[in-house]
Amino acid sequence: MKLKLWMISTGLLLLSQLAVAAEKVVVLTSYPQEVVTQFEAAFEQAYPEYRLEILWRQSRDAMNYLHQTHSPVDVYWTPAQRNFAVLAKEGALRKLDIDLNGLPKKIGGFQISDADGFYVATETAGFGMAYHPAELQKLGLPVPTDWKSLTAPAYSGHVVLPIPSKVGYAPMLIDTLLQGYGWEQGWSVLSQIAANASLAGAGATFISDDVGSGRFAVGATIDFFAVSAMANGKPLRFTYPEKVGYSPAHVGIFREATHLDGAKAFASFVLSEAGQKLLFHTDIRKLPVRPAVYASKPADYFDPFASAQRASYDYDVASGLARQELVAAVFDALITRQHAALKTMWAAIHQAEQHAPKDARLAKARRHANWLPLTTEQANDAALQQAFIKRDGNTDKLELQWDAEITRHYALATQLAQVVLGGK
Amino acid sequence: MKLLLLLVVLLLSLNVAADEADVTTRDATRDAYAQPISGLAETERLQFFKGRGLVRQIWVIPPSENPEIAGLGPLYNRISCIACHAGNGRGFSPATPQEPMRSMLVRLSIPGSEALGEPKSHPAYGGQLNENGVPGVLGEGRAEVRYSEKILRLTGGEQVSLRKPSLSFVDLAYGEFPAYMQISPRIAPPIFGLGLLQAVPEASIVALAEAKKSHGIKGRVNRVWDVEQQKTVLGRFGWKANMPNLRQQIAGAFIGDMGITSTLFTQENCTPVQKACQLSPSAGKPELNVGQLQATEFYHLALAAPRQRNTDNLEVQRGAKLFKQAQCAACHVPELKTGEFSALPAMSRRTIHPYTDLLLHDMGAALADHRPDFQATGREWRTPPLWGIGLAQKIEPRAGFLHDGRARNLLEAVLWHDGEGAASAQIVKEMSVFDRKTLFKFLESL
Repeated sequence: MKLKLWMISTGLLLLSQLAVAAEKVVVLTSYPQEVVTQFEAAFEQAYPEYRLEILWRQSRDAMNYLHQTHSPVDVYWTPAQRNFAVLAKEGALRKLDIDLNGLPKKIGGFQISDADGFYVATETAGFGMAYHPAELQKLGLPVPTDWKSLTAPAYSGHVVLPIPSKVGYAPMLIDTLLQGYGWEQGWSVLSQIAANASLAGAGATFISDDVGSGRFAVGATIDFFAVSAMANGKPLRFTYPEKVGYSPAHVGIFREATHLDGAKAFASFVLSEAGQKLLFHTDIRKLPVRPAVYASKPADYFDPFASAQRASYDYDVASGLARQELVAAVFDALITRQHAALKTMWAAIHQAEQHAPKDARLAKARRHANWLPLTTEQANDAALQQAFIKRDGNTDKLELQWDAEITRHYALATQLAQVVLGGK
Repeated sequence: MKLLLLLVVLLLSLNVAADEADVTTRDATRDAYAQPISGLAETERLQFFKGRGLVRQIWVIPPSENPEIAGLGPLYNRISCIACHAGNGRGFSPATPQEPMRSMLVRLSIPGSEALGEPKSHPAYGGQLNENGVPGVLGEGRAEVRYSEKILRLTGGEQVSLRKPSLSFVDLAYGEFPAYMQISPRIAPPIFGLGLLQAVPEASIVALAEAKKSHGIKGRVNRVWDVEQQKTVLGRFGWKANMPNLRQQIAGAFIGDMGITSTLFTQENCTPVQKACQLSPSAGKPELNVGQLQATEFYHLALAAPRQRNTDNLEVQRGAKLFKQAQCAACHVPELKTGEFSALPAMSRRTIHPYTDLLLHDMGAALADHRPDFQATGREWRTPPLWGIGLAQKIEPRAGFLHDGRARNLLEAVLWHDGEGAASAQIVKEMSVFDRKTLFKFLESL
């Protein structure tokens, strides 16, 4: 009897295995392997009738690929918000007709999903500061609580700051800071942080390496690098500023998707409770966009929805995305190419302010130090933004003019501070 | 006098610890297999991180705007090194026939050997089943793993279920496999500590092979083809010691697993019958440039091995003795010495504890893959190093053991030992429950 039952169940099992000839779903992404691995395995377990085929391309390359070839891609699932906006505008995406209940389109005032429903946020990451507690303690420095904390001269030499023209997530980090404090004050804060910092380019190390190893005490970064490293044992901590900026990732299905059912299944899975909880994995540590899953979050996990209730931030995503290249160019002009002069200038100003805090010349020095080549209105000018996306001789010429002006202003600021210091 | 003796012993032990301290890591976190040896110069540190970037890189199908990371395919198994070697650790075998081989591959060959001694490739499928193809190129097919379980009863009443895998193949795109096809499934091995193993002089390995052993244990070296030197040399890496050095091992994995050419393997992995594969674009000649291969090799060279933990624990110490008593240490040799090592001088003249002899051993019929590889027979496998093995499932919870990942834990792995390992397996089976637990306490400390 037992044998018969076994044979019947084995037969049924074989039949069920034959019935599920896995259909492929082609997904284009730029996620790292750790994210791909977790979602691939969990999706294929939840939907054994489908098999993921991952095509990996960085954001710019992905757009070229989608534009130049007869794309076999069904789903775009990646942290590249501007690509989604462009694809939606081009009509390449279809409206996501899947269950989106329980998925808010905003975190406080921060829009994360497409208002028209062509692409939906799947997770987000927040910008803030990774720090090495033991290193801070050794240096006698307080744990920073906001970006402004890092402008204090005591942090000089102990901070690392990413260059937005070189590091993928950095343009958004810089812009959330600029919108949070306002254009003029934001650049002033950035300039003073940079004076305390080493600048990180597109090298092979992450800011979490630099801070995790104690080479630097604090680093401005996107949370998951640091939080994942923490979860895997690195002696790091991460703190968010009062107004948290986010970098959401999205999912969208192509209008021409060949494997539409599978595409919908995948999109539904990444947005489901099971998919959202995968983001808690120690190798991922992204922030879910389904508020309900925070009920089972790991200890000390940041909840952006709760944070937004405490301090909402009405960040204008469209403006931020549109001016990324322009902001990166201004950063390079004000900070990257002037880094040595900038450090000297702020050191002199801070010293002079201690020496003669009420000296009126220092206000003038600060005005020179904070001089900007563009107003906020100019930074939001669509033609100028386009010019810096395309880059040509005119932008090069403009940058040369900026460089000359900035050099002059920094020299004047330094000179004034030194005069206050009595020619020291 | 006693005090003096104690002091001498203490000093000697300190000396040994210092000897390996900066080429091993105390890190026992999920990042333990990804630590560089200490004391790297700044240029070396940057080279290490460059290599890490390449090992973590998901590769792009050409053509691409980013040619430096393009070259995946036309045929491939996985899209990055760490897709198989998660956290630089070992892979696992699929749990069900439907589950794809996520960190495992299948080597193929037909009877006989090629002119240089390597296994004879199948004319349509080559030497490895590549499950995936770039758009327009058919993947070669898919391997399905099924298991049959047998229960083993150990002294003390403990029962252990051992699962034996069998493979079948579906969606074969380039014709059915012949009945004589030689098939060898292999999980990804861990990739740390390999620089130190490369630094062990050939003479030491040969001496281990020649040393007299008891309990039916022999051990011999493999002799394999060195592509760069164009000669046959000692084999040291791979499940059958079928690779002569780290560079060839890495370049072999790039071409075999990801279809990425290098200066060592310049041709795409297409067989003559795979026409679409042959017409598929390459990203460069080679796709992995010299600097990238050097950086990847340096990263592997400089990865530290985890240091043994809980060495002052009495159970661990007793477990180490049981390990020796069970003759495990005859093949899993606890201590080796490195020689002069110009590739990374910091690794020269170190006493290390990898628990391997780097030799081939007959492991019996049940583990045999019946696929000779250079001088290794179908029953022989290289003794895998045991250092860091106690962290394997912390780093990859599904990490498997033995060449095909059939063992789900270390006890199962031991119990599969046969052939030259039969006596050890028998001793472990007959141990008291307490002794067995103590033995595994020791293994978990590695």
